[in-house]
Amino acid sequence: MGKRDVQIIFLLYFFLLGVFLIIMERRGSAVNTPASRPVTRRSKSYGRSCVEAPSYFWQTPGHLAVLKIPNSRGTAKSQTITNKVDPEHIALLVKNEWKLSYITPLHHFRHTRLKSYSKHLSAFIVAEKQQGVAVEVGLEAGFKVTFSAVLGLAENDEDAETVFIQIQSKPVFAAVADAPKVVWRGWLTCVNGDLEYLRSLPPDFVSLPLFCTSGPESLTTLVKSWFERAFDCNFGCLALNSTTLNWLTALWTGCHPTCNIRHLKLAWSLPTQPPLDVSYTVNPQDAWELWNSIHPEESTDDRIDIQEVQSFINGLEAHFFRHFKIFLSAGTLVKVSTALGSAHVDGKIKIGNSDYITTLLTLLTECALLKMPA
Amino acid sequence: DTVEAGTVVRGNDELERNMVRVETVALSKGLPPEVITVLLDLALSLNAGTANCTRVLKFLIPATVVPQEAIVKGVSWLCVGKMPMNAQVLFVRWVLTVFDLIDCKDDLRSIYGFIFSFVTEENLCPFICHLLYLLTMREHVHPYRVRKLLDIQAKMGRQPFLTQLLALYKVFRPDLVTLSLPSRVRTGFKNHNSTWKVALSAVQRKNKGAVLVDQSLSLDVKEKPSSRKRKLHHLAIPPLTSAFDSNSSKKVLRLQELRSFKELLENIHNIELPAQMGSLLGSALALHYLDCVQDESAFLRLNFWLGHSLQEETCGSLFHKPQDVYQSFFLPWFVFVHCSQEGFSSTESFLYKFLSVWDGCLLRPQILDLLSDIPLMPSFSVESRICFFFLCSVIECLNSMLVKWLTWHSVSASEGGLDISLNIMELVRFVGLLASEGLRLESCHVLLLNQTLAFYETVCDMFLKFSLPLIIMPPAGVFYPALFATDSVSVDRLGYIMYRYRKNLTLAKKQEQQREQTFHISRNTYKEFNRNLQAMVNSMWNSWWCVPGSEIEIDKDLIALSKVAEPWCRFDLIHHPALFSYAIEFHQRVSEIFSH
Repeated sequence: MGKRDVQIIFLLYFFLLGVFLIIMERRGSAVNTPASRPVTRRSKSYGRSCVEAPSYFWQTPGHLAVLKIPNSRGTAKSQTITNKVDPEHIALLVKNEWKLSYITPLHHFRHTRLKSYSKHLSAFIVAEKQQGVAVEVGLEAGFKVTFSAVLGLAENDEDAETVFIQIQSKPVFAAVADAPKVVWRGWLTCVNGDLEYLRSLPPDFVSLPLFCTSGPESLTTLVKSWFERAFDCNFGCLALNSTTLNWLTALWTGCHPTCNIRHLKLAWSLPTQPPLDVSYTVNPQDAWELWNSIHPEESTDDRIDIQEVQSFINGLEAHFFRHFKIFLSAGTLVKVSTALGSAHVDGKIKIGNSDYITTLLTLLTECALLKMPA
Repeated sequence: DTVEAGTVVRGNDELERNMVRVETVALSKGLPPEVITVLLDLALSLNAGTANCTRVLKFLIPATVVPQEAIVKGVSWLCVGKMPMNAQVLFVRWVLTVFDLIDCKDDLRSIYGFIFSFVTEENLCPFICHLLYLLTMREHVHPYRVRKLLDIQAKMGRQPFLTQLLALYKVFRPDLVTLSLPSRVRTGFKNHNSTWKVALSAVQRKNKGAVLVDQSLSLDVKEKPSSRKRKLHHLAIPPLTSAFDSNSSKKVLRLQELRSFKELLENIHNIELPAQMGSLLGSALALHYLDCVQDESAFLRLNFWLGHSLQEETCGSLFHKPQDVYQSFFLPWFVFVHCSQEGFSSTESFLYKFLSVWDGCLLRPQILDLLSDIPLMPSFSVESRICFFFLCSVIECLNSMLVKWLTWHSVSASEGGLDISLNIMELVRFVGLLASEGLRLESCHVLLLNQTLAFYETVCDMFLKFSLPLIIMPPAGVFYPALFATDSVSVDRLGYIMYRYRKNLTLAKKQEQQREQTFHISRNTYKEFNRNLQAMVNSMWNSWWCVPGSEIEIDKDLIALSKVAEPWCRFDLIHHPALFSYAIEFHQRVSEIFSH
């Protein structure tokens, strides 16, 4: 039977008055958006001095870092990132669709040893593909792995530099002139990570919580197991919840004056039998005017509040309801896409424009850090 | 000893006779070290002829030890290259058989390179690999040796002996060679000792004090099922691997090299932590070592791994795991947490989540042990749908937890430790509520009452025994079921508890009056105690249990409905149902006396 795909593509021709009316209604009524509860995560350091006998009750001598879900964040700022980062690297990041995972902090990872890591990983992949046959580390056969540091993406002092990994396959019978084909790409990054949390980690840990991959799943699994064995870290899937997608919607819409977002496409999934998929495309100018009425551009306040974001989404949903009598809030927002990029609730992103890459990565780094085990 | 130790004549007959004599001695008692040296030299130099070489090797059974010079000389004869192939093979096999009897292996290790050079001989290769496997130390693993072995592997294919040796090389130098060993790949060495096995064990049995030769290969080089299969769940303990990045110049041992607890103790300061801390939960030996680890980063790594594995598993799915997951994951983890003094935040957060869905049966002893170990636990609510025996066990374990807390308090109170009296109060109140509810639901079941009264026996003496100035009375839901219980043990225990309360309160009052201390027992506590005492005395002594205005006042008409005669004295000493058996016994004794 499958899903019934009803594509309702509706281009919103905006009547200023109509929308203002909706907004006025909203402002008039008591809008009680429940503020997000700060979620405490504690990072403890475990120490026992040899001098005193171990106390029966474990005391926490170390630091306590609290990770809160922020209620407000700065507006998306355009940044000609190519000033800071090598354009070739940027080109690689912008091309593909990336699958997201989070990583716990890496132990004894050194940016100075990237070459040796490349050799190890390639030997590991070859050994795993041929079970039971030992492989010399350093010998170039089958797969060529390159680890490189992408400098410049890190924003604050505690961020570690981004590491980019590329796997090329060199088939055994290829002619010498054949260029090796890139079969897999991945990168680990930390952009604007929570300063307190990063400082609370002991010095031999490096935190690069966001891991983006593109390529066959088998290679991704191999790379992950190599990392787990080499640096005693752990991987998990990073799914994006609807709050994150809402933030992205608002942030990207707010960029429209400086950079044409070309469209605002939202995909919803409604829990009917069979499930109903709704694809809702909004004219960028109209979306921007709606956003502007909630958070005026001229306001000196550089920060966006979660309540403003919620109002924006409610506005879009209310408009949809007026025309189709369907409450979109009964379903879940599944995908957001603009010319600046797209994000899917399963943890897949695409970066469209390198100018706003920092904002996107900051948001994603935050999501990854929130998944760190206590 | 009729064994000759001197020169052997080349003449055939005499040689033959001597040979026979030596052979008989060898097979009966074994040969002393000097003789072994001489004979080995004789055989391998081919001075006695090629046929005798193999013959001598076949009866060369040592009695005690084998001197390493003999072996070294033997290897040098091997290098000369004049021996026929079957003799060479036999010699190497003999070395393997008596390997554990060689007194010291240092010289052998120093000629590692010479031994290694024989690896290219196809016939010798399996046995040489085995010998190298037994001799290899970290300093022997060099890139050119790795390359040589890989070349041989390319020629000979995936031979199990090569794989085993390369796996050992990987343990020592994972930065030089890497290898993936799923369980279906064969590893191991050929049987080498068939020629001597019977004779050797016979001789060893005779000389009882001798070193026993270990016939087995113990190193577990194989890993768990490979990562090719999709991970069905996240609760898997990673395999023990060495960190490849270690560049320590000092000699360190890895956990995979240890064979026994004794070796662990000898080398305790010299052991390198594995690449993945979680793998330490995989073996008992490693668990012992984990207790001695002082490194902060190591614990953080372990906590990350534990927290992550548990986080990825939703609590509900824990009830549908195959049995081996509990054995392989939960039990080692719980054992470790229970035995170590170190707490982990991941354990606590897991427990809180788990208890909300727990059915009371899964891994019950381990969970209850964990519960009593958690320090300074905030209040948590246990679902009331838990079953009866579980409730008894919970109260029992909360009792032991209370005792531990009180003991800790009494020991560390003088040192100015943390003040846990608020937590204790909360715990006691919580147990009071739990017990009242449980007794109500289970119609005052005697087992539950028993556990509850045991708990209050601890509570009543908090001041006198543990110097904690807290006196908390049992709630009505516990007091009255005990007072009106139908078994004598409960009534007796209640009496004892009230007696202890009185003692504690009297001492507290005295100290307060003498202004000896700084605490203050509230008047309400005294009032509560007095009320309870009055109820007890009224019902048991004054035959008047239904006092108007008391907590258990019942309407007179309701009591009349029960049609019991003289209901107000039904709970006094004479008529109490719990003490009924004593009454009967009393009558029986009295009638016996009077009948005589």
